[in-house]
Amino acid sequence: MNAIEISNLNRVYRAQIGVFNRSIKEVVAVDDISFDVQAGELFGLLGPNGAGKTTTVKMLTTLLIPSQGSARVAGFDVVKQANEVRRRIGFIFGGERGLYWRLSGDDNLRYFASLYGVDPAVSKKRIPYLMELVGLQGRGNERVGGYSRGMKQRLHVARTLLHDPDILFLDEPTIGLDPVGAREFRNVILNLQSQKKTILLTTHYMFEADALSDRIAIINKGRVIALDTPSGLKGHVSDLSVVELETFGTPESVLEKLRSLPFVDALSVEDREQKQMLLVQTKRGAEAVPDVMAALDGQRIGRVIVREPTLEDAYVRLVGGQA
Amino acid sequence: MNYGNIFKYWRTVLVVAEMSIRTQFSDGFVLFAIVFQPMIIAILALFMLREKGSDYAVFVVVGSGLTGLWSSLLFVSGNSINVERWTGTLESLVGMPTPFDVIVFGKNLANVFQSLLSMIVSYALAAYLFGYPLSLTQPILFFLTLLLSMFAFICFGLTIAPLFVMYRSVQQWQNAMEFPVYIMCGFLFPIALLPNWTTPLSYLLPPYWAALALHGTSTAMMPFDQLLFSWSMMILFSIVDLIIASQLFKIMLYKARVDATLDVD
Repeated sequence: MNAIEISNLNRVYRAQIGVFNRSIKEVVAVDDISFDVQAGELFGLLGPNGAGKTTTVKMLTTLLIPSQGSARVAGFDVVKQANEVRRRIGFIFGGERGLYWRLSGDDNLRYFASLYGVDPAVSKKRIPYLMELVGLQGRGNERVGGYSRGMKQRLHVARTLLHDPDILFLDEPTIGLDPVGAREFRNVILNLQSQKKTILLTTHYMFEADALSDRIAIINKGRVIALDTPSGLKGHVSDLSVVELETFGTPESVLEKLRSLPFVDALSVEDREQKQMLLVQTKRGAEAVPDVMAALDGQRIGRVIVREPTLEDAYVRLVGGQA
Repeated sequence: MNYGNIFKYWRTVLVVAEMSIRTQFSDGFVLFAIVFQPMIIAILALFMLREKGSDYAVFVVVGSGLTGLWSSLLFVSGNSINVERWTGTLESLVGMPTPFDVIVFGKNLANVFQSLLSMIVSYALAAYLFGYPLSLTQPILFFLTLLLSMFAFICFGLTIAPLFVMYRSVQQWQNAMEFPVYIMCGFLFPIALLPNWTTPLSYLLPPYWAALALHGTSTAMMPFDQLLFSWSMMILFSIVDLIIASQLFKIMLYKARVDATLDVD
């Protein structure tokens, strides 16, 4: 049974520009996407900034009206039966916003429990249970404004579980968390997964999507460009190796030269303070290293590694090195 | 919304009101709107009318309390929707199974309740700073009228809230909406002093009937049939406001979801 069904979904944002010569600028955020999520599945939605992930989640959580197409969540239409959908879902949009900072953690949960229509007797038992589940036991009386970012994110999870929904939408829930906080958060997600909740997770973090997701859709410029299991997606680059080179201030002209070499399938660049990490995807493996070094002639080069491709490399190849 | 919902969701309304009061009492602007602004208005009016006697003092106390009530509804309720938008909670509220107008009803209830503080502050000023002997001519009817007036103000406030949901910039118009209501509803002086053509407009505003009945039961022996008429008009226009608000919420929430104005992004 499908928990989420999306059919030819489309969303266009219209913004008025100019003061005297007014005109409407249209931006297509989601462009004709279709996919289903099965009940109990953890479905990852991956894509660069502005790819349309959050817009998709907002349409599915009834907060935006689609421009075209349709979507059903828990069997209900997200536009015509929005209230039925709202009763059955929980959602988190990443970051610290969305909570009442002047209220305590417990009061936040009591407030949202009331808005979800949870019986006060039930919420009285459920709130301490959820605070414990997300590791905030003993902190419920403190104002949320004094919580760390990670604590706020975990309080979001508790909030979204108050009415015990079957379907959860987690939009970049680990964004901005430190590595320990992010790991704890992933454990909470795994716990929810073990309870057979259907989870739609959007994230930038490839290892997170790889570790948690049953299936992943990669979305770019509003379109789904690949949909498969993590291992299936990695199969897109199984014939490749990745040469990782640490460089310092390599100019764009040199990168272009490297990109144009016939044996280079894709090149992505990660800036790490003063360093750059060049990730060269090639079918030639270690044999490509001398030619890559030659193309970088005159550049200062640090560590060089040749490794097997990961989900991130598959992603880079699929989105064309734009990440 | 079907306004039977208010009764179905009474518990939620009370929780929303409780949380609004807790949140707002830690906000300096709220204290200004419900305590200091009516205090300033009361002091000015009491000075201007100090030769008119103690009846006028009661009139000023009730009138400045009403200004506090309206300012609180307009600024605190209106701003709270924008604050919810900026803090990211507006989307959470709209995405709840509880109808959004029930939530706004609870917020307005909190603001109106807090605004009674305005009246108490004005009363204390007149009694202790200016030494007026303050007594209500029809105390029981006054308190009954006060309860009805609170309901009328809540309903009137509900018709404005949808604009704040839809338009981020409606805040700029708040000041322009504040004084016309003071004047048109006869909070601080009778509307008989206004040009005749404005009178029908005043009749359409529930706060006018609230002010008329509150002034009538506090400073004059208002005949019961006239009081009953004011109560009826308050109830009638409150129902009309609820119907208008219900339709506006439906339209504005749909439009906000089409135009993506629930968040600041």
